[in-house]
Amino acid sequence: MMQGYPPLRAMPRLIALAMIALGLTACQSGDRSASSAGQTGGTVVFATPSNIETLLPPAQVNITTAQILDLVFDYLADVGDSLNMLGDHGFTPRLANRWTWSPDSLSIAFSLDPRAKWHDGVPVRAADVKFTYKLYTDPAMGSGVASNLARIDSVTTPDSLTATVWFKQRYPTQFFDAATQMRILPAHVLASIPVASIRSSEAASHPIGSGRFRFVRWTPNQSIEIVADTANYRGRPLLDRLVWDIAPDYQSALVKLYTGEADMYEVVHPDDVPEVAKHAGLRTIVYPQPAYSFLGFNMKRPLFAEAGIRRAITLSLDRTSMVRNILDTLGVVAKGPFSRLNRISDTTVAQVPYDTAAANRLLDSLGWKRGKDGMRARGGRKLAFQVLVPSSSKYRVRMASLIQDQLQRVGIAATPSVLENSVTLSQIHGHDFDTFIGSWISDLSPNDPKQTWTTSAETAGLNYFSYSDPKFDAAIDSGLLDLDPARSKAHFSHAYQIIVADEPGVWLYEPQLVAAVSARIHTAPFRPDGWWIKVPQWYIPAGERTARDRVGLAAAR
Amino acid sequence: MRALAPRIGRRALHSFVVIFLVATIAFGLIAIAPGDPCATDDPRITLAVQAQCRVRLGLDGPLLVRYGQFLSHAARGDLGQSYITQQPVAEMIASALPNTMLLMALAIALSLIGGLALGVARSVQPRSSLGEIVMGTAVVLYSLPEFWMAQIALFVFAYLIPILPAGGTVTTITHDYMSVWGRWWDRVDHVLLPACTLAAVSIAGIARFQRNAMRDVAGEDYLRTARAKGVSERDIVLRHALRNALLPLITNIGFTLPALFGGALFVERVFSWPGMGRLAFDAIGQRDAPVVIGCTLVGSAAVVLGSLLADALYAVADPRMRT
Repeated sequence: MMQGYPPLRAMPRLIALAMIALGLTACQSGDRSASSAGQTGGTVVFATPSNIETLLPPAQVNITTAQILDLVFDYLADVGDSLNMLGDHGFTPRLANRWTWSPDSLSIAFSLDPRAKWHDGVPVRAADVKFTYKLYTDPAMGSGVASNLARIDSVTTPDSLTATVWFKQRYPTQFFDAATQMRILPAHVLASIPVASIRSSEAASHPIGSGRFRFVRWTPNQSIEIVADTANYRGRPLLDRLVWDIAPDYQSALVKLYTGEADMYEVVHPDDVPEVAKHAGLRTIVYPQPAYSFLGFNMKRPLFAEAGIRRAITLSLDRTSMVRNILDTLGVVAKGPFSRLNRISDTTVAQVPYDTAAANRLLDSLGWKRGKDGMRARGGRKLAFQVLVPSSSKYRVRMASLIQDQLQRVGIAATPSVLENSVTLSQIHGHDFDTFIGSWISDLSPNDPKQTWTTSAETAGLNYFSYSDPKFDAAIDSGLLDLDPARSKAHFSHAYQIIVADEPGVWLYEPQLVAAVSARIHTAPFRPDGWWIKVPQWYIPAGERTARDRVGLAAAR
Repeated sequence: MRALAPRIGRRALHSFVVIFLVATIAFGLIAIAPGDPCATDDPRITLAVQAQCRVRLGLDGPLLVRYGQFLSHAARGDLGQSYITQQPVAEMIASALPNTMLLMALAIALSLIGGLALGVARSVQPRSSLGEIVMGTAVVLYSLPEFWMAQIALFVFAYLIPILPAGGTVTTITHDYMSVWGRWWDRVDHVLLPACTLAAVSIAGIARFQRNAMRDVAGEDYLRTARAKGVSERDIVLRHALRNALLPLITNIGFTLPALFGGALFVERVFSWPGMGRLAFDAIGQRDAPVVIGCTLVGSAAVVLGSLLADALYAVADPRMRT
């Protein structure tokens, strides 16, 4: 039994190396690669203001839960560092150590690693994969992932170590869907629980996985702790323990970081970066986020059904200066409805320039004349609309103010309507808005545009704007079905040209994020699809460890 | 004592009605509030899945039916399940309530000690400049909102002069590995800042109340008699005046409870204290209606019971009330 410790709060400062890597221009500037020999041990505490709703993978919604589940559970295979999601190129083995395509490409046989075991010691078997598919697609489960599995027909188990996934059709992301949409679940734990009550079962709060970390404890509203699975078939991670310390809000999470109670906070607001830099025990890491923000028009409103109005608004907005004003170097102007991290993106799409003279001419020609107050009106109706924006997003609230200012210069009255997040969601779901500043986070798969801007996404996706263009839909479908990567990308490029010309929205910015990390932690490169993916490679040199790093694994027993 | 029973029985009945009304108002307000716990901007969650979520959470039925079900379950102690964590609300409250009670008990104790001392000192030496300063400071603290006070206390004592932890009930990682003394101190260390913050806002109120109560009894015959008998001034103040001036304070504690409960809502949130306040605050943000209603219900029950208890104590302490 270890004895009482000196005050922990002071320790990081006492031992931390004075390393502030304010790498605002170079991504991953502070990252160092790990050498595994003699580096095992240590605890990393992540401060997060995001509460955990469940630890049952099919029910996972929020990002903090995804971080934990990705480390506790395994997929059949992983997307590699190239982030390719077409075919199986670049994917790395995880629970499946190899896979074989059928000659007609309508099935993939995954061979499971025979060494893989659940954290309770039971071997992982093909029946677990079959059960997982069944649970994820069970309507009573209501999993958000089910729609991504719609083109999978079934899973069979020719033997205990082979799971064959059968598809209804051939398409480029077959492997991605089969291997990376489902975290494989233990049938021996979950199969006996009725699906209707599985969300509230003990297994949903005390998960048993096969990943390199295993679950220890979850104290609701306080913390979640996972520890290294030292006997894992893929080798033990270098760190002993990971703790998500749930703070009530952003500011409290930052205080925990400043006082040394936490080691990392994943998204520091740009306004707080100078304060982080003052702390010798902290360094910053800039990393890309696969997201884009836009001002979306509600095409059901007669005002925005008029293409000229949409064009005039785009012409009136100086996106470059707005992005610089709000994000400085932590963002770039978006070129279309995509994150440029997605391999199907195309940044060469022709853009509508910033040209207020052209905007004024266009509005005049459309009959919107300026009144005495400088604002435009037509037939007694003012050219005015509301800009809906969730109060939770500092960037977007500021962006709404800049849009208001810039549009006022051409005589358009845009009024920001800043509402609480769930009220904002209610309004956009009910199409009760004029315009909305949205921010879509991409999973970097080619399915993105299908889920967001196609006609089908109006009822089964995020197309709350009622944008509909059959040519765009056809180009996206062609891109998703073409098995030739070059031709597939060409279809997507064509689709982007169509939508950028149609202007259902003004594409505003793609952000970069800043994480603050304790200088004693040696991180691996942050991947755009998840900074936590390489956490098993993180380490803390023996000489830089604090009291909490020396706790060891005893608590997990 | 027998004379007290009907009086306490009437108060208990009133309390029951108050709790029922609070439950109904809480249910109604949450039902008509905008926002949907199943709404999301995750493209993977289709509208069909969102509709299924509403069915699973029992949000698809008519409001009156839902209200009837809520009352029937609540009467049996079943407050439903959290929309977010799927845990029974009663269990969540059972784990949060002791933390809030600890915090409030400490806050009440600290505010009583501080308020009594200050009130007595001010009544004995009304012109003392030190007393003026202390009382002035207490009044300033009294007039500040709790959440602001908590933020300032956090900033000063956890960040600027880092002598106390920033939040939580214990040091998460190492608490279990500390010595018995270390663990005990770890708990004290964590409760100090939130308890003192909560107490600081009540001290001035109690002090002013106590000072006035002391002034009220200052001219009483029994004090004059005691002085005439040669009892020391210290004994007169502490043994005679204070004991009699304490009676109104018992009632005042009953009135302090709602304010403290309300204050705990913000203080717990700022200090990451896993009590009822934080539970309620988080639930409001997450549109977790069963938890919000559960917390409102338990909070109002605690306040009502507190004032009932204060009433009973007053009746027991003051013989005039028994007749």
